[in-house]
Order: sequence, then structure tokens, then C-alpha cells
Amino acid sequence: MTGLKRKDPARLPGERPKSASAWILWLVALVVSMALGLVHGSTVITMPQVWHAVLHPASGIIAVIIWEIRFPRIVAAALVGGGLAVAGAVMQALLQNPLADPYIVGASAGAGLGAIGAETVAPQMALMAPGAFIGALIAVFFAWSLSRGRGRSPMLTLLLAGYALSVLFSAVSTYLMLQNQTSLSTIFAWELGGIHGMVWAKVRVATVIMAVSGLILVPQIKTMNALLLGQDVAHGVGVPVRLSQALLLLSASLFTAAAVYLSGLIGFVGLVIPHLVRRLSGPEHERLIPFSFLAGATFMVLADTLAEHLPPLGIVPVGLITAFLGGPYFLYVLARQQGRRFF
Amino acid sequence: MPERMRLEQVDFHWPGSDRALAEISGTIQEGVWLAVIGPNGAGKTTLLRLLAGLEQPKHGQILVGGQSLSAYSSRERSTLIALMPQAIGPLFDLKVHTVVEMGRIGRYRFWDHLMRLQPSHRHAVEEALWATDTLDLADRNFTELSGGESRRVLLAMVLAQETPILLLDEPTVYLDPGHASDLLNRVESLVREQKKTVVMAYHDLSTVALYCDEIWAMDRGRVVMSGTASEVVLDPRMKELYALDFLSLTHPTRQRPVLLLP
Repeated sequence: MTGLKRKDPARLPGERPKSASAWILWLVALVVSMALGLVHGSTVITMPQVWHAVLHPASGIIAVIIWEIRFPRIVAAALVGGGLAVAGAVMQALLQNPLADPYIVGASAGAGLGAIGAETVAPQMALMAPGAFIGALIAVFFAWSLSRGRGRSPMLTLLLAGYALSVLFSAVSTYLMLQNQTSLSTIFAWELGGIHGMVWAKVRVATVIMAVSGLILVPQIKTMNALLLGQDVAHGVGVPVRLSQALLLLSASLFTAAAVYLSGLIGFVGLVIPHLVRRLSGPEHERLIPFSFLAGATFMVLADTLAEHLPPLGIVPVGLITAFLGGPYFLYVLARQQGRRFF
Repeated sequence: MPERMRLEQVDFHWPGSDRALAEISGTIQEGVWLAVIGPNGAGKTTLLRLLAGLEQPKHGQILVGGQSLSAYSSRERSTLIALMPQAIGPLFDLKVHTVVEMGRIGRYRFWDHLMRLQPSHRHAVEEALWATDTLDLADRNFTELSGGESRRVLLAMVLAQETPILLLDEPTVYLDPGHASDLLNRVESLVREQKKTVVMAYHDLSTVALYCDEIWAMDRGRVVMSGTASEVVLDPRMKELYALDFLSLTHPTRQRPVLLLP
């Protein structure tokens, strides 16, 4: 067909060879971190007791602690970390920007305003989490509506519109907080991010939302590889670019909003984890997306366990732990990339 | 020869600017290598973008297989027409085989996004790597390739689309003569052996006269001359088109016209 004399290729052009072992490694890491999370907590429970309680959910007070306190917290931590990491990876591909994180187009400011609005309007009803969920989606939707139309660079418009909306929403939030001094500390604690006192009902809601956004994301996974080549190239190889961008943004926003619903605003996971996974197994999204979920989940479960179990410091919000761990790691990676060795 | 594409009174202008294509009509036959020439700003790239479906005509239409190009979905269009990009700058270090695989994405189903490359896709990717002599590069990072290598990989990507029509925008720009003629020879074998239809925007007139079958010469958004390569290159109106009085010779072995700067 090509007129060239054929010889057998040494190796077929294919996937990176270590894909299967990477899957196993990440799954093991997640399971181990979840086991650590189950064992450690403010009540001292030994490993055999944990094991017994896991197998016998109705066997007394220890089983209640394991099943109603630690399990929901750990599962929530895994969903938050995984969801934010996936959302970050998607945003980085969508916006063609390595500094993109899940909150970059207005989700955090929208969530903040939603939470504060709910707390101001109906302080007794504990509507902060749903308010934040809706606020995050509304802010992203606003930014996206502005980026539609026939302009040449809709993703740049999306980024800038998201930034402008963030500034505006934050200003309104700050004003509401100043007007509403009584709930200031509640809101401040919420903004720092935390998974303390998680209940199954919230975990279930977030699981369903993330499952839906996962289904939206699956048929776009390799589309993100094409988008890395540029919009025109993606269009040329048959990607309905505008539709794919809208679906990717929808999926990332649902992941982000569901994570915010569970835990408030947890920073850095969504930015750092995709970069870490790219360094380990490459930028191809068929690996980046699932591995980011597993790595983000593992990282968050460990951070949450640390947050709940740092006796000298008291209870530290998990959002601070992720910043303390994620910030230095990211600086280290940047320094390495510049060929410097500070650490 | 059956017709591949037909342009009927195609008009176009960029939003907020008067640069335009005006009343472009013509047919492009199967197995023909058509060159689009003209001075800078004549509208060559714009014409290719319209043929690729990246832009929509303001008036008139582009017919492919008897149907208006804008009536095809992105996926359908990507199995008919492939546009080879001049260069890409992926944000992250994509592997060469990932770039070439992207030529198949218009044919992907839901599960293809999760699974390893299916045999039909794998076959097309291999075929494209063979045709462009890039199999050895498959596991390299795209950003580490030389100019000639990356151009061959981009050709492989559009070949993996398995389209009857190929659009090339200055495919050899920045390439040395050796790599340039290598690329053009590969395109030539696609036209002659696989009966692909190629539309190529190009600046070098002697090269165009040597390789291509037909030429459309553009000036300020209009096609001002069209015909066989030798006819157009030797047309006296070339002098006004480029405001330059070329000297013409005949190629000693291929009997085609060669233009020299005066």
C-alpha cells in the first residue's frame, strides 16, 4: 500500500509498558491509606478491633465509631481528593494552562458566596454545603456563558471571565461576612476546608454527582489529548471542539462542586496531584485521569488522617494540611525543573 | 475522473475586518494535486481553513461528495478531509504515537476512550507510521523531535485519518531542501498510488511546477488564474501578481518550467 518494503516492527507503537503495575500500585496505596485512616483517630482502637468492627457492623460502640464516623470521613476524603485532582487535570487540558486548578474559573468564589448567602439567609438550616454546591456551578456557568459566541479564543475569555467573576463574588462575600459577624467563624472554618463530622447522607449525594460527571467525562478522555494539540488540530481530527469543551467544563465543575459540598474549599490538591501523576506516568489522559483520582484520593485520606491525629497541634483543618504538604512539594518540583536543588 | 470538492461562489470575511475571499468557484478532481499560490495575504490559508471546515462561508457553499461541507458532523468530516497543521506546540510532553493516534479520534466510540487501541485503529496508526518512516520515533516525546521529524509525524497523524482529501498549508516551511523534497515525495506517492486529492498552499513556484498537477493563483481573496501547473506558472499575468519579472527556464530532466528571480 505504501510502496515501502515492510519489515516486522520491533515493537508495536502502543501504550507505556508499565500501565498495569501503575494501576496496582495506586490501588494498593489507596487501600493502605484508607486502612491507616480507619485505625487512627481520637479514640484509640487497635487493628484487630477495627477488623472485627468492619466485619460486624452491629457489634457495639467501636463498630459505630468505625462505620458512622471514620468510614464516612475516609470515603468523603477520598472522593474530595480524587474529585479535585480529576477536575484539576481536566481544567489544565481544557484551558491549556498548567497553572489551572479546579477553582480557576470562579468555582471557589461562587461556592464561598453560595455558602455565606445560605448562612446569612437561613442560619438555622445548615444550608452552607448545598449553597456552596449551587454557588460554584452558577459562577462557572456565568463565566462560560460569557465565553460563548464567535470569538477566536473562547478558553482565554473563560479564564478571564472566571477571574473577574471571582473578584466580584469575593467582594460580595466579604461584605456579607462583615454584615453578619455572628457566623464569621463558622464561615471561616468552612472556607479553610474540612471533613470533620461527615455523615453518610452527604457522601451518598456526592457519590451520585461524581458518578454522573464521571460518565460525562469518559467519552472525552482522549479528546483531552487532542485538545493539547490545539483547538484547530482537534477540530481537524474530528473533535466537535465547542461541545467537548462545554462537556469537559461541566464535568470538572460537577466534580469540583461535589467536593466543595463535602469539604469546603480545599486548595492545592487539584493543582499538584495532576502534575505529580504526569511526572510519573505521562500526560496522556487515559492514564492521567484515573491515576489522578487514585492519587488525589490517597493524598487526601492521608492528609485527613494527619489532620485528625496531630495531638500536639490539636485538630487542624485538612485544608491547611494539604497546603502545608502540597506547597513545598510543588516548589520542589519547580526547582527541579529549573535544574536547582534547594532541598 | 470523479470530482472530490466543488466550490460554488464562496464568499468569506473575518469578523471585524475586510480581508475576504470573494466569489471563489471551482472543482477539484480525485487524485489531483492542487497548489494554491499567491502573494502574502492573498487568502491561501483562509481558503484552506474553509476547505477544512474550520470557517464557514458567508455565502455560497463547498460541496464534498455532493453534500455541503457544513452539513457534515465533525466526525464525518474528519473521515473525508484532513488538514495537516504546520506546527503544534503541545503543552505537555505527548508521545509521538499519541499524536498520531489522534488522527483516529473522529472514529472513536465510547469505549475507545478507556481501552487500549482497537485493532482497526492500531492498523491505521501503524500504516501511517510506516508511510512516513516514523515508526522508530513512536515512543519519543513529540517536543524533542527535529523540524523534519515533527513534520513527518504530523503527516502521519493526518494519514491515520484515512481521508481521501488532504489539505497542506506550507508543509515544508522551515525545512532544509533534503527534508522538504523527502516530504513532497511522500505526498507525491500518496497522490499517484492512493489517488488522494491534495490541496496545498505553497510559496515556491518552481517546486509547485515540478510536483503539482494544477494551480489556483490567488490575489486579494480571489482566484485570478487557474489551470495546469505549467500553464499558470508561465502565464504572463504572474508578473503583476508578484510585481516581479521572473526568468523562466525548463527543468533539464523533468521538462517542467522553473522560475528564477530576475
